[in-house]
Amino acid sequence: MTRYIIRRVLWFIPVLLAIMAVTFFLAYITPGGPFDFAGEKQLPESVRQNLMAKYGLDDPPHIQFIRWVWNALHGDLGPSYYYKGRSVNEVLSQTFPISAQLGALALLLGLLIGVPMGIIAALKQNTFWDYSSTFIAILGVSIPNLVLGPLLIWIFALKLGWLPTARWAVNYKELILGFFPPPDKLWPFFKHAILPAVTLGTGLSASIARLTRASLLQVIREDYIRTARAKGLPERTIIIVHALKNSMIPVVTVLGPMFAGVVTGSLIVEQIFAIPGMGKFFVASVTNRDYPVILGTTLLYSVLLVVANLFVDIVYAWLDPRIRYD
Amino acid sequence: MKQKRWFMLVAILVIASFVLAACPQPTPQVVEKTVVVTKEVKEVVTKEVQKIITKEKVVTKEVVVTPTPVPGEEKVTLDINLGTEPPTADPALATDTTSVTVIEQLFLGLTDLAEEDMHAIPELATEWETPDDGQTWIFHMRNDVPWVWYNPATGEVEVVKDDDGNPRVVNAHDVVYGVKRTLDPRTASDYAYVLYVIKGGEALNTADPAADDLDALLADVGVEAVDDFTVKFTLEYPAAYFPQIASMWVTRPQPEWVIADKGDRWIEPGFIVTNGPYVMTEWVHEDHMVFEKNPHWPDWDKVEGNVERIYAVMVTEASTSFAMYENNELDTAGVPLDQMDRVKSDPELSKQLTIQPIGCTYYYGFTTPKAPVDNPLVRRALSAAIDRKTLVEEVTKGGQIPANTFAPKMIFGSPAGDPEIAPWALPEDMGGWGYDKAAEEARKWMADAGFPDGEGLDILLMHNVSEGHAKIAQAIQAMWQSVFPKANFTIETQEWKVYLKTIGKKTPLEDMPHVWRLGWCQDYPDENNWVHEVFNPEQGANRPRLSFDDPYVGDKIKEFSETTITAARTADPEKRKELYKKAEKLLVDDIAAIAPIYYYTQVVVTKPWLKRHWHDTPHYETWVIDWAAKKAATGK
Repeated sequence: MTRYIIRRVLWFIPVLLAIMAVTFFLAYITPGGPFDFAGEKQLPESVRQNLMAKYGLDDPPHIQFIRWVWNALHGDLGPSYYYKGRSVNEVLSQTFPISAQLGALALLLGLLIGVPMGIIAALKQNTFWDYSSTFIAILGVSIPNLVLGPLLIWIFALKLGWLPTARWAVNYKELILGFFPPPDKLWPFFKHAILPAVTLGTGLSASIARLTRASLLQVIREDYIRTARAKGLPERTIIIVHALKNSMIPVVTVLGPMFAGVVTGSLIVEQIFAIPGMGKFFVASVTNRDYPVILGTTLLYSVLLVVANLFVDIVYAWLDPRIRYD
Repeated sequence: MKQKRWFMLVAILVIASFVLAACPQPTPQVVEKTVVVTKEVKEVVTKEVQKIITKEKVVTKEVVVTPTPVPGEEKVTLDINLGTEPPTADPALATDTTSVTVIEQLFLGLTDLAEEDMHAIPELATEWETPDDGQTWIFHMRNDVPWVWYNPATGEVEVVKDDDGNPRVVNAHDVVYGVKRTLDPRTASDYAYVLYVIKGGEALNTADPAADDLDALLADVGVEAVDDFTVKFTLEYPAAYFPQIASMWVTRPQPEWVIADKGDRWIEPGFIVTNGPYVMTEWVHEDHMVFEKNPHWPDWDKVEGNVERIYAVMVTEASTSFAMYENNELDTAGVPLDQMDRVKSDPELSKQLTIQPIGCTYYYGFTTPKAPVDNPLVRRALSAAIDRKTLVEEVTKGGQIPANTFAPKMIFGSPAGDPEIAPWALPEDMGGWGYDKAAEEARKWMADAGFPDGEGLDILLMHNVSEGHAKIAQAIQAMWQSVFPKANFTIETQEWKVYLKTIGKKTPLEDMPHVWRLGWCQDYPDENNWVHEVFNPEQGANRPRLSFDDPYVGDKIKEFSETTITAARTADPEKRKELYKKAEKLLVDDIAAIAPIYYYTQVVVTKPWLKRHWHDTPHYETWVIDWAAKKAATGK
């Protein structure tokens, strides 16, 4: 197992390099550059030249890429072209923890709701419980966050006045260990987090529920479950000890990418609730042709993705002892 | 079986929460609740107006007497939404309105723009003169504005001292440094080109940053400190509008000693040294900024404003910002388009609504050398066939004003609304022809141009991807189609930066759309910034590709070019107005290089306890809050 992990980690290097190279050259060949315009105003060629020179964009692309990789290896992701005086390191370290807080809460919520819902649906297949949870799951997947978010704000903040309308209770300057909200702010933190986490978690719980249901239905038809039943084991033991663990494999498989996607921020949820997370940078950096931010966000996302997938593979071995690496 | 029951319970809870979330759609019934609250407030306000002034003085004294850090709650606080993270607070680097709004609070300009008509009024400069009709400008500055620094440790605003312990007062050398820093190619300012009017400015800005003669070029720039409080600008050519340029952020004094020491980071709180009515005390990126009153700003007794603290959030989503306003978390906010009908019909919200023109124009440009829009008759017919009144009333809905010129009315020299120019663009109630007659004439022009009923006409209209632009384009396509039933109109869209590249000058003619959408907002409020800088065929951006060799209207294009060049160099304001009227008529009517569509407006709601002003860039030091009323309404 250790050898497997080491091998996988070593594989990260070419994988990440390839991702970054593709991203870099895609950005490079996209028409329009970061300094062509100020708003709708075309910048004079001379000004553009000065800006290009200042950021080293007048060098050939492969030199630029090698320089970026070299600096990234030294922990420097470069300056933002759009946010003058801010570095990509700063942007990411200020916004990623906030997105990760929201993402972690939403994912937790998604699991807490989705898994039980899927189990009930599977165990009570073709009953009222199954139909209603399937219905809810479809609803959860179909309602876009763009609708659910404002609706929740309207109900719980404006009409009932129970929860704040928007914004995040803590900022990057107050975080403990760069991630946790300070204890004295826990209560406002949860009050602010609940609506966005529900908005983001709803969709997640719906997909988790559907997967859990489908997978559990398949597993309980397996021979070894019949054997367990024949042995006269109590139904509860059969489900929890034998069926559930195995049926989690597809769920864990999607959890990897889901985790990477969700902790790096959701543009829409963050925008609706005015949360200072990194979701917007994925889109804004491309709109602004802010190359270092494009590369920085992509790098962070890719690292999370490959690491999460590695974890998923390790968890497989634990969930199903038949799976062995080496 | 306990476990199972537990699952059931969770499931029921889940279902219940979903049912709650999927509650019925908002009904207007419930809205009445808000109405009652605001009504009470409104009554208080009418009585409070007198009291505000006395209260303001008391507060000012308090600051002087007890300079200990006061918790934010006790200060008269204005809650606003910046709408986005400002890309910078550096006057040399700003290009966008958010940054400029921030800079306006922090840095004074030589001149300021008047609220009512945006003419240049004194700010740091008390008076100015031009001894030679606009080629040289001498600004006499006041000597009582100190540079200040917010000390995060004590929470105090301190006057900055020089090496000898004397207060540093904003002076002519700071202006010279600021202007030269903006033009220095090493600063790489996006907006430096605005200062090319200054002698040697373009030569410096376009020089190679590594060149040896950079110091010589820096020294040659036409800005000098005659004495500590007199600054002299020498221009490349006479520019009557220079006092307005002197109000812009790119010409503001900058603290050399801080920038030399801190580099790019000098704009962060704790480092930044400023001279405006407010200081920046907090900047939490992507979340909020806090500004506090600068007690050392000498003009507090000359303005009526009483805002001591500004809490500015950065909420991008318009509907969220509006929800925060309804929840009393913001004192003023923009109105999202989908809420317009509700705001207008709501008895209270409609009273809080203001529709204010701003210095921007929405227009369609024509690629003038490209057939069939190479014929000015075709262009004018297309322009006249746009029903601007219906468009602003039914499609954009934000109180926009139908446009018959490029520059809106508030811009100096603009003849906007003058029915002598493109009367076909104006509705009857604005003195124009009205759409029926305009459409009638448009049909004739199109037939004269050889396209009866639009037969044989194939037009490509392009705009950048945006729901708003798409709605407008579809409406205009439908209008054109009904006037020219046999023509073929196609709409294409592109992502913003790709789009800007496509409609750029380097695109070969065959790849250009016939018609393209753009907008223009003022840098400084003078027609020179509009007709000249945007469309002059020799010196402007000239996206419509106007050329003196144009087979139809080459002579008119030459005349247009000469007119805007002459106007830029004319000192007499009345003469300039005449010239710009002529230029606008040539541009929009005779040449029909563009179809101006509407002048932008901002649609905002303001709480009854806030009395605001409408400077083009907000001047929060002039805003007045009825603090008692606000506290009562927000429950703070």
